[in-house]
Amino acid sequence: MHKIYLSLKYGFICVWSMFVVAPFLWALSTSFKDFQSVTSGATYIPWLQFEPTLEGWRVLWESPANGGVDIAEPYLNSIIVTCLASIISIILGTLSAYALSRFTFKAGFIRNNDITFFFISQRIMPPVVLSIPFFIMLGFLGLLDSMVGLIMVYIVLLMPIAVWIMVDFFNKVPREIDETALIDGCNPYQAFFKVVLPNSIPGMIVAGMFCLIFGWTDFFFAFILTFTEVQLLPVRIVALNSSITPWWSLSAAALISVAPLIVVAFIVERFLSKGNLSGALK
Amino acid sequence: MNFRHKHIFLLPGLLVLIGILIFPILFTVRLSLSSWDSFYPGLDFIGLENYIRLFTDDLRFWESFLRLGFLSLTTVFLQYVIGFSLALMVWRDIAFKRFFRVLFLIPMMSTPVIMTVIWKTVFHESLGPVNDFLSLFELTPLWLSNDFLAKITVIIVEVWQWTPFMFLLLLAGLLSLPEEAFLAASIDGAGPIRKFIYVTFPLMAPISIGAIIIRLIEASKIMDTVYVLTSGGPGTSTETSSFYIFIKGLREFQMGYSAALSFTYLVIMIISLTIIAKVLVRVLMKQD
Amino acid sequence: MDLVAKGLTLEIEGENHLDDISFGMRKGELYTLLGRTLAGKTTLLKTIAGLITPDSGRLLFEDCDLGGVPVWERNIAMVYQQFINYPHLNVFENVAFPLRQRKVDPAAINRRVMTALSSVGLDGFEGRKIQALSGGQQQRVALARSLAKEAGILLLDEPLVNLDYKLREQLREEFRNIFSSTVASDSILIYSSTDPLEAMQLGGEVIVLDEARVLQQGPGHEIFENPANTRVAEISNDPAMNLMNGTIGDGSIQLGADMALPLPPHFKGLTPGDYIFGLRASDVILADKGISFTVELSEISGSETYLHVAGGAHKFVGLLDMVRNFKAAETVSLSLDVKKIYAFDMAGDLVSSPFGGGR
Repeated sequence: MHKIYLSLKYGFICVWSMFVVAPFLWALSTSFKDFQSVTSGATYIPWLQFEPTLEGWRVLWESPANGGVDIAEPYLNSIIVTCLASIISIILGTLSAYALSRFTFKAGFIRNNDITFFFISQRIMPPVVLSIPFFIMLGFLGLLDSMVGLIMVYIVLLMPIAVWIMVDFFNKVPREIDETALIDGCNPYQAFFKVVLPNSIPGMIVAGMFCLIFGWTDFFFAFILTFTEVQLLPVRIVALNSSITPWWSLSAAALISVAPLIVVAFIVERFLSKGNLSGALK
Repeated sequence: MNFRHKHIFLLPGLLVLIGILIFPILFTVRLSLSSWDSFYPGLDFIGLENYIRLFTDDLRFWESFLRLGFLSLTTVFLQYVIGFSLALMVWRDIAFKRFFRVLFLIPMMSTPVIMTVIWKTVFHESLGPVNDFLSLFELTPLWLSNDFLAKITVIIVEVWQWTPFMFLLLLAGLLSLPEEAFLAASIDGAGPIRKFIYVTFPLMAPISIGAIIIRLIEASKIMDTVYVLTSGGPGTSTETSSFYIFIKGLREFQMGYSAALSFTYLVIMIISLTIIAKVLVRVLMKQD
Repeated sequence: MDLVAKGLTLEIEGENHLDDISFGMRKGELYTLLGRTLAGKTTLLKTIAGLITPDSGRLLFEDCDLGGVPVWERNIAMVYQQFINYPHLNVFENVAFPLRQRKVDPAAINRRVMTALSSVGLDGFEGRKIQALSGGQQQRVALARSLAKEAGILLLDEPLVNLDYKLREQLREEFRNIFSSTVASDSILIYSSTDPLEAMQLGGEVIVLDEARVLQQGPGHEIFENPANTRVAEISNDPAMNLMNGTIGDGSIQLGADMALPLPPHFKGLTPGDYIFGLRASDVILADKGISFTVELSEISGSETYLHVAGGAHKFVGLLDMVRNFKAAETVSLSLDVKKIYAFDMAGDLVSSPFGGGR
């Protein structure tokens, strides 16, 4: 009985693993193809079924003028925008989360939980709903097609995540530690920075991970709010999805775009195993 | 504790959020009361005409809700079942536990749009590997040109993309459960199935609810997948509410009307999610 | 008086957390706040610390009104029930934290920290991480931190309650030594506890709190010998003092239809009438020719036995100095030591006590 259970378990894991890996393998193989190999039907194994070329990969560094795709600049832009927006979101979000966790607010009938709900409910809005007003607003401020404008918009997207995770986290740090810091002579600011914050690093890293993930993978806002000056990676890649779809460079670009976050996946897993994540996510 | 300083902590974040949001929100509401479109740009005032129109004359909008409901509930359900199973399997010691955990997280880390583009090539009806494989059985399903199959394709891609998110939340929850309950169950002679039904699942109830709600919120925004894979098609079979709003607003440039749609959508979503949350709490928390 | 409280009152959502609390405390003395859970002990400690602001009343330290003084400017130290230390710092830094805040010079910091650690028995622990310490050791670090501060008021909120029994006894011993020797000579020590035995052992003055009110303040033995009312009698004894309604008449104490006791000497002079009588569980003795009671429950504890009995309209608890397993519904013959009996009036106030207190 136990053996059946075990083999079912491993079977399921293997099937799902193959499902997970399949698109990546396909992309990997396709990235080495050229026009011929693609249009003559589905092929998989290089050298056996088709002649591999480095065309797909080479083209990524060529500028569009030479018929290439040049993802270096969008890649860099994505990194800058995502990181800056994440950092700002975490800073502002952590401060607000601390306030919501520790202090009581009352403005009319609005209480702590309502304010927290307000933060988190920003996630309900589909990008579509916000994109038109943002488009007009950024246009008015002259921030369309700029990194600053995009970062502003991303902060709205990412701060709720930071607040959600950090409020939960702070609720788990005993208030008595704050109180002891006050008794030991710290004013509330010092208590926060010297005592609570150093103990919140695991939570902030988790929040940071999620911000990075949701920021890096955004497509819609970048799509609507930038054109030529500033292009982010997802936009550039999807732009290839037009009339003559160069499957090979598409696949290569896709693989490159996933790479940085694999590092994030490792970090998340390490945290999981050390038990820190469980506290932050409840 | 109450200090004057408490405001200094809360306000930067709150003000920035409100500051960036206030204009869009107010503008959307105002816009919804106008008839701005590509023929008559400008903010006139037509009162509730847009709203009346969407409630009486726009079947397509309401159909999109049905599709949205179908798609998001199905994908979240599948993600929950699969994600939970995966979490259970890599929770205790198995071979290569850490490797599998990282592996299962990866789809979530990839950009949905980009992967969807890849999936589009995978499901390509004549040149993609799926149909290549199925042609051995004389089957060539029209993944992207058949109404029903298009929905299935969207579901498959969504499940691939987002199950890791459920997996992560549920695994984190499992890892935080106290050992004692399980030890007690073992002593009482419970096998793995009984342990799950009577110990694991009830203990995970609050976390399950949280994870489901969060995923529902995100799933209802399905946009990237639909946009790239099917563009809402074929016809309107995969047209979700947000995609419909997108078409009306940014393709047909009926800004005023799409603003009214957006606002209605928001209200409906908030109400539905609150109801779903309450129902789930009732159902799952009462199990023990 | 160096620390004076006048009429401290705090009400939250209709419930009194502090009800007109007043007391006076002197430097260099130890005071125990004795009360049941939720009596207001922690609230009072936090109010003295400044973490809670009362609705009304004043708190004066060395004739200075603490009203507008925020927590971080008060000269206090506090040790909590849950071993609270700074997780991200090692032992030395934990104890040094308040000193660094005050910008004490490094040489002095070093000296004071090492002295404090030494006095709590943690020599050599300076470099250790907090997480690596046991519960008792963590609590000692918390104590060392509060000692190193040399604060004017040292607040301890049931500091030993989360430790195991043996450790509790050991640390209580050490507390007395620590407090009498070191810094404490100049500070006011306020220790809160639910355990009357602990309050007596600590040896200082006891303030009995119940339902947010001060019921009695006085030296430990005074509280023990002459509890001001029935509530104090209940709180300051473990198990609670047995209280029975009865009357004094015909030169005897009538406790019911067929339960009478001779009038003890210290009751002479009491007017006949209805009273509430009190007798400690330890003053109930097994005797051959005593009053008959039915056993309801018996529990052996260490070298003593708790015996719960019922007789007539009364139920009480006896603490017998023996180990014996009584069976439920068994009949026992008990003698109530009238020389140790208390009398309270129907309002609950002390009228006569074996030690000479009362009216």
